[in-house]
Amino acid sequence: MTPAPSLPNPLTSPVGHLQGRFRQWWQSRLPLTDTLALTQRNVYILPTRPGFMLGATLLVLLVASINYQLNLGYLLTFLLSGSAVVGMHVCHGTLRGMTLHLIAPNNLFALDTAFFDVKLINSRRSPRYAIGLSVLGTGHWSWTDVAAQAEALVRIAFRPEKRGRHRVPALTAETRFPLGTFRVWTVWRPAAEVLVYPAPEPLAPPLPPGEPRSGGASAASAQATGEFDGVRAYRRGDPMKLVVWKKLAKADELVSRDTQHAQRYELWLDFVQTGLPETEARLRRLCAWVLAADRLGVDYGLRLPGLEIRPSCGAAHRLACLEALALC
Amino acid sequence: MLNRLKVLPRDARDTLFLLAVIAWVIMPQVGNLPAWCSLLAGGVLVWRGWLALTARPLPGKWWLLGLLAVTLGATLYTHRTLLGRDAGVTMIVVLLALKTLELRARRDAFVIFFLGFFTMLTNFFFSQSLLTAAAMLIGLLGLLTALVNAHMVVGRPALMAAFRTASWMTLLGAPIMALLFVLFPRLAPLWGIPSDAMSGRSGLSSTMQIGNIASLVLDSSIAMRIKFEGRPPPQPDLYFRGPVLSSFDGREWRPLPPGLSQRMPPSSGLVVSGTAVNYEVTLEPNNRPWIFVMDATPGTPRVPGFQPTMTPDLQWVVDRPVTDIVRYAASSYPDFRFGPLSAKGNTLIGLQEYVDLPPGFNPRTLQLAADLRRDPRLATAGAATLAAAVMDRLRTGGYRYTLAPGVTGQHSADEFWFDTREGFCEHIASAFVVLMRALDVPARIVTGYQGGEINGVDGFWAVRQSDAHAWAEIWQTGQGWVRVDPTSAVAPSRIGSLQRLQAPTGVFAGALGGISPDLAARLRQGWEALNNGWNQWVLNYTQSKQLDLLKNLGFEAPSWEDLSYLLIGIVVFVSLCGAAWTLWERTQHDPWLRLLARARRKLVAAGIQVPPQAPPRELARQIKLHYEGAETARGQALHDWLLRLEHLRYAPAAPANLGARARLATLRREFNQLAWPDR
Repeated sequence: MTPAPSLPNPLTSPVGHLQGRFRQWWQSRLPLTDTLALTQRNVYILPTRPGFMLGATLLVLLVASINYQLNLGYLLTFLLSGSAVVGMHVCHGTLRGMTLHLIAPNNLFALDTAFFDVKLINSRRSPRYAIGLSVLGTGHWSWTDVAAQAEALVRIAFRPEKRGRHRVPALTAETRFPLGTFRVWTVWRPAAEVLVYPAPEPLAPPLPPGEPRSGGASAASAQATGEFDGVRAYRRGDPMKLVVWKKLAKADELVSRDTQHAQRYELWLDFVQTGLPETEARLRRLCAWVLAADRLGVDYGLRLPGLEIRPSCGAAHRLACLEALALC
Repeated sequence: MLNRLKVLPRDARDTLFLLAVIAWVIMPQVGNLPAWCSLLAGGVLVWRGWLALTARPLPGKWWLLGLLAVTLGATLYTHRTLLGRDAGVTMIVVLLALKTLELRARRDAFVIFFLGFFTMLTNFFFSQSLLTAAAMLIGLLGLLTALVNAHMVVGRPALMAAFRTASWMTLLGAPIMALLFVLFPRLAPLWGIPSDAMSGRSGLSSTMQIGNIASLVLDSSIAMRIKFEGRPPPQPDLYFRGPVLSSFDGREWRPLPPGLSQRMPPSSGLVVSGTAVNYEVTLEPNNRPWIFVMDATPGTPRVPGFQPTMTPDLQWVVDRPVTDIVRYAASSYPDFRFGPLSAKGNTLIGLQEYVDLPPGFNPRTLQLAADLRRDPRLATAGAATLAAAVMDRLRTGGYRYTLAPGVTGQHSADEFWFDTREGFCEHIASAFVVLMRALDVPARIVTGYQGGEINGVDGFWAVRQSDAHAWAEIWQTGQGWVRVDPTSAVAPSRIGSLQRLQAPTGVFAGALGGISPDLAARLRQGWEALNNGWNQWVLNYTQSKQLDLLKNLGFEAPSWEDLSYLLIGIVVFVSLCGAAWTLWERTQHDPWLRLLARARRKLVAAGIQVPPQAPPRELARQIKLHYEGAETARGQALHDWLLRLEHLRYAPAAPANLGARARLATLRREFNQLAWPDR
């Protein structure tokens, strides 16, 4: 879903371009898997800026110890160095040996803030602290601790940009525990795929008028009543079977089916009739309409280039329509 | 209050903890810092703590700049410089405190930690004792705990968890520390040390004003430790010679100006007899070019890194101040004679300085001398008789030895002989020498240490600052300079026994001494043995000791390059071990899987085809097929074994880890006893 970040122009920034190419090449080598066991081979470590600061501090301490001939100063310097070295191993050990497991996300709408869950499994007998996860390159970290021989669930937020069937974006796990002098991280390409529907148009126009069933009356009269979609507000005396109960459950408002209208018209959401020039914009409007029609509980059909879904209603129908929109 | 701490927001709690650790690190410095610096640092820390407790915003940058300017000004005013050790320490302490007011970003926190580590080191400028080391170890653990805690980003973790991690890291880091400490080559200072580097250490002084030594007596810290070969000599022989003071201006005794003492030949005719006492001295830094040996030491003591020479006064000096613990061996002869044996020519040539008295001081003592001379028995007596007469007077005249002689006026000898009649060794020696000079006997004062006591725990002889002493030497025809210790006439117990006046002790030590003096003494001895071990093994660990270690390890002619090679070699070796372990970890090492693989190989060797991923049950089935008809019992045993292997891994009811290892070991043992199919 995160498209490969566009490479910098090789002419203006050759180094950036090369770095980007290297990153792409590196990531493409990573295996696709939904369960990643972290081992020596896929956990990386580099000193951070505070790490270099600590190194400089140790150097100053050493020089002071030498110059003032302080044996206790040597002890302090070396104890601190020893702790830092152990800290490096602790830092690496925080990730190494852990298992990450992706819980495949549900399908989502583009540009919507979505979440998916990653399970962190710690089989060792000591807890692992301060592990951050994020979608690679976003910098939005979710931090967690994993207790000894336990699991933790981390919810990672992300924002799919484009509709279609995509692989879950590459993830990264990172820790700087315990001293902050080293950064230990891993990069993970999950195999799971997720279907992203077009983002619904925010303020879409009302649903189009129904089309007359084969040889019915013109749409003009329906337009005059302002009831395009075969429903109208509940009127006293409407029979119970005409009430759209689904709508009541969802929105707490009484709506009745316009029997006459429903009998004579059927609602078609047509790619061509959206009145927009661009394909993506059309799909977004159609998506908004599908959702609106579904909310009203009326039957609707979808017409896309090369695909036609007969009018119907219900969750399965809605999914079929959204999927068609996503993959169009 | 405690409850309130428990419910503090995490930010406030962490800040308070860090402030407490910083205060702990700064605390031992307070005695060595200017008062304004301690007050400023303490004030800032308290202020910051209050801001954290009440969740108020931090002060603006103008506050910080103002305080910084004040600090710079005050440092410049106090130390007259911004460079050098003492000014640097002052600034670092204040900067550390001020930086807590600027705890905004992650970077600020790191700056605090690293400044904190440096502040810990500055403590060692002033003291490297075991107590300081222990205090700084706690400080280090505190800082590491705060650092670890800062990286536990989730929720509000208990400080104890961070402390546990920090302790583990320190504990595992200790072997690395030990290795580096032992093998890291001890280099000479990389560049010159500012001149104030070694101040702040006490000891004997090069001049003697009445009251100098009495102030030392309150200091029971160790001046030196001695390991005698064989039995220690008797206590009255233990005179450790320091500066010899021969020039008196009425108030202060000084050494003779260099030009005058040159008149006597350097060797001074030292003649020793009897058996030598051999011993090794561990001298605490005294910031003076003096080393202390027993009277008299004709042979040059072996002091590593120094060049000792003997003064005409028999004192041993070295070419630069002793600023660190040094260890040296010496052999001394308690029986000796030195100095010109006869006054050639008209008067006491070369000895004139030793009978000079400043005019206008101590008239009554001069009168006393004249009175003594009028005594017919003493009128023509030699120096020895006169000295004996004066010693007799000290013994019988009601003179007392005291640690608190009070303030002396202009005529210190007069006051001692006639008014107060009490004094400390320096009063007594000074009054004695003045009187002897008034009697025309060449006399001078020798300062140094006398006595000491053995530490029953480690057998080292400890000489303390409180053993500092002043005695006299008089010149006798035919004898040269002869030691006379007038204090022994006043207080025989001062010389020659362990009993001595005790300086007032602290409340706790006093209470302990009151309950059980024996226990107090033993505790003290144990503590000092510990301290001595610390000095011998840690503080006195020098390049020569490193090279000795290499020699013991089998190096022919070790040099510091060898040390580096050894260190690098060990690091490489450990890294290779780590790499090997990583390789091993990458291969299959689940013991259960290994056992299954061995079983499968047995089957394959017998020609039974089993796929590599076959579970135990599949192997068992194949075995059963293999032995169908013949030798069913043998097949059954193998079958059962394989099913038990499966059970160990996959049985649902048994808790996973309960005795699994033992059961696997049993299965492994049985594997070797089983009759596997023949090839």
